[in-house]
Amino acid sequence: MNKNRVKNILLDHMIEILLVLVVVIMAIVSPNFLTPANILNIFRNQAMKGVIAFGMTMVIISGQIDLSVGSQVALSGAIIARFCRDLPASTGMSVGMACILGILTAILGAALIGGIHAFAQHRFNMPAFIITLASLNVLYGLAGVICQGFPIANVFPKEFIFLGTGTVFGVIPVPAVILLIIFAVCFLLMTYTTTGRSIYAVGGNAESARLSGIHVFRSKVIVFAGVQVMCVLAGMMHSAQVASGSFSFGRGWEVDVISAVVIGGTSMNGGVGKPWGTLMGILFLGVITNAMTILNLDIYLQYVIKGLVMALAVFLSMYQAKAKA
Amino acid sequence: MSILRTEKISKQYPGCLALNQVNVSFESGKVNALLGKNGSGKSTLVKCFSGAIQPTDGNIYLDDERLVFHSPSEANEKGFAAVYQEMSLVQSLTVTENIFLGKMPKKGNMIDWRRAHEMAKELLDSMGVTINPKEIVSRLPMWQCQVVEITKAISSHPKVLMLDEPTSSLASNEVESLFQAIRQLKKQDIIIIYISHKLHEVPEITDTITVLRDGELIGTVNTKEVSHQDIIHMMFGEVSIRQRPKELEVQEEQILEVKNLCRKNKFVDISFSLRKGEVLGIAGMLGAGRTELLKSIFGSDSYDSGEIWVNGRKVPRRTSPIVMKKLGIGLTPEDRKNEGLILDHSIQDNLCYASMERTAHGWFEDRKQRRQVAQKQIGDLQIKIPDIYAPVSSLSGGNQQKVVVGNWLNTNPQIMLYDEPSRGIDVNAKQQIFEIMWAQAAKGISTIFVSSELEELLEVCHRILIMKDGRITGQVKPEEIGIDELYAYSMGDTNK
Repeated sequence: MNKNRVKNILLDHMIEILLVLVVVIMAIVSPNFLTPANILNIFRNQAMKGVIAFGMTMVIISGQIDLSVGSQVALSGAIIARFCRDLPASTGMSVGMACILGILTAILGAALIGGIHAFAQHRFNMPAFIITLASLNVLYGLAGVICQGFPIANVFPKEFIFLGTGTVFGVIPVPAVILLIIFAVCFLLMTYTTTGRSIYAVGGNAESARLSGIHVFRSKVIVFAGVQVMCVLAGMMHSAQVASGSFSFGRGWEVDVISAVVIGGTSMNGGVGKPWGTLMGILFLGVITNAMTILNLDIYLQYVIKGLVMALAVFLSMYQAKAKA
Repeated sequence: MSILRTEKISKQYPGCLALNQVNVSFESGKVNALLGKNGSGKSTLVKCFSGAIQPTDGNIYLDDERLVFHSPSEANEKGFAAVYQEMSLVQSLTVTENIFLGKMPKKGNMIDWRRAHEMAKELLDSMGVTINPKEIVSRLPMWQCQVVEITKAISSHPKVLMLDEPTSSLASNEVESLFQAIRQLKKQDIIIIYISHKLHEVPEITDTITVLRDGELIGTVNTKEVSHQDIIHMMFGEVSIRQRPKELEVQEEQILEVKNLCRKNKFVDISFSLRKGEVLGIAGMLGAGRTELLKSIFGSDSYDSGEIWVNGRKVPRRTSPIVMKKLGIGLTPEDRKNEGLILDHSIQDNLCYASMERTAHGWFEDRKQRRQVAQKQIGDLQIKIPDIYAPVSSLSGGNQQKVVVGNWLNTNPQIMLYDEPSRGIDVNAKQQIFEIMWAQAAKGISTIFVSSELEELLEVCHRILIMKDGRITGQVKPEEIGIDELYAYSMGDTNK
């Protein structure tokens, strides 16, 4: 009995154990790894994909998926850059004002696209996989159209740049702070609110949820719009970091984002998952990427390893479900 | 000619003797009906034949060879084939592929399609039906699917063929076509065992009738020699109906009124009213439209015309479970695993989903209150649980059903709709569910109770509506009617 409980606790915290293991090994192998600067660096590098991963966690818990996230990152960056470049010249508006308008437009657009995803999935029972795969192309194309085929560089006000490159208290990168804030919001929402409970219910069994008088469509709108808005946030941080907006941003991010969620133990079948797990997943991916870079591993080999880690994570969660007594 | 017979066959389950020293025999070239109400032991007997379970005592003989099966595949090798209620065809494949699934004829390593189609056609011809073997199964009408299912079973040339409710998913005009195919089968030397709840079909297709009740053999008779009444009497015996508590008085106040409700292909022109504290039963066979009616009243399915009035106010046309929940209506669905519960989630969560808004302050949940509310139902309904955070899938059927009921009682409903609440749960749990209904009725909550088990309705309800082919065909009081009569009523043949 007692032995079983220990086993269950170990199984439940597999990802934390693995994370600690990798950190300990790296600390021994490389003196540069476990330094404050490097740890903050990991947080900053993971912040963009990380905020999306929390949105994605909610989408996957609700039993859906959004593959278009990378393109939305590009689109939102492009929209804001275009506003900052063209509005002041044509209307005499200040750059700051133009930037704020651009951000609002990007957020509204993203929420609308999320709403469309939810509507198409709910009303016509189309697989979210296909709808959002279509959006991946559509949004990428739109970003290219808005950029007119070229990156829009050096147009942002410096307050905006701060989002990507600034620090709090002189050391903590702003993106890392945003990441932790989004984690807190996601955690509170999923753990303590009726909205979160509804999302779990819809992902667990949509028909039972509907017959319990739960707002199924509303839950879907919230998760689909939520992840898209997270992409805008990520797009802002990314554009700010490199001081330009471009349609080429965010390409292929969906893989890392979904990896982080899955590594964090969220079930692709819906109904099961935790924001905490996703935070662990994000850090785990960040740590091994960082470790591989420190160890000077070939970049393509890094892809191989990251892919294998994702496959291993799914295998482990299947094993976990079986092994639990 | 071959004979399948059992000698004092018994099956003991923990706490329940499902078969008690049963001696039966079935001959080939005949269609042998095996009848009995739920829990009579007929499924157990069929499972013994199909190798799914082993009898605890007694022997099975096929042509005087004693048979012992340890698995369904052993039974299959000895020539036992079964066609079950649920279709097992692969909808996207052709008729031929379905018939020879896993044993397609081959030439070398490649599938010999020409021979496969020829063999399929031969088998289908022997059933006296013309179905194109190259057709995709999903394009066939239901009765032809059922024929393909049977053809698949006879493709292994069985000696014993068991048909479990083969007409349950067929429309009435399709049934005759299937029967013709079954009659063709009689010409082959096969022992056909036919299980059905639809008593009116039995005289049409069967030659002998064997009736089980409470695990015992009641008798085997020639179909021609008995009347409909005789069969019902054999199945039910002398039933003593338990009475509901006397103090349960129906109040005058009308709480729900349904006027001329119609839904295409489901039900027509349904009108009735429900009073406060009343327990109203709806009797009828599977497919009579009872489930669909409840779902339309509950707002989870739409309806085409008609009106629903709750508490003297008309329910808007565009309705939903969310709207009806606010009006104080709850539904425990027929299919509790897929529609009533979220199996992976905890018992506590499953008890609180419908009442989520009640256990929250605005947007934020009150965890303490959630726990209290869940605990209250666990206590009131005597739900046996290992741990309130254990997944609801870990509970027995009866306790799962109580969780579904508790989920709705937590919303403080005024009207509860129960769709087959006693399906798949043990006698004890059934009785507890009924007691819950009565306790709620005593508090003034009205109940609509749908069941295929007519004795239950007689036991529990104040009043019973009879539904057949989507219409309400009558209304009876349990005090004034016997089980045989109610059964005959629901079948729709009052004359026999």
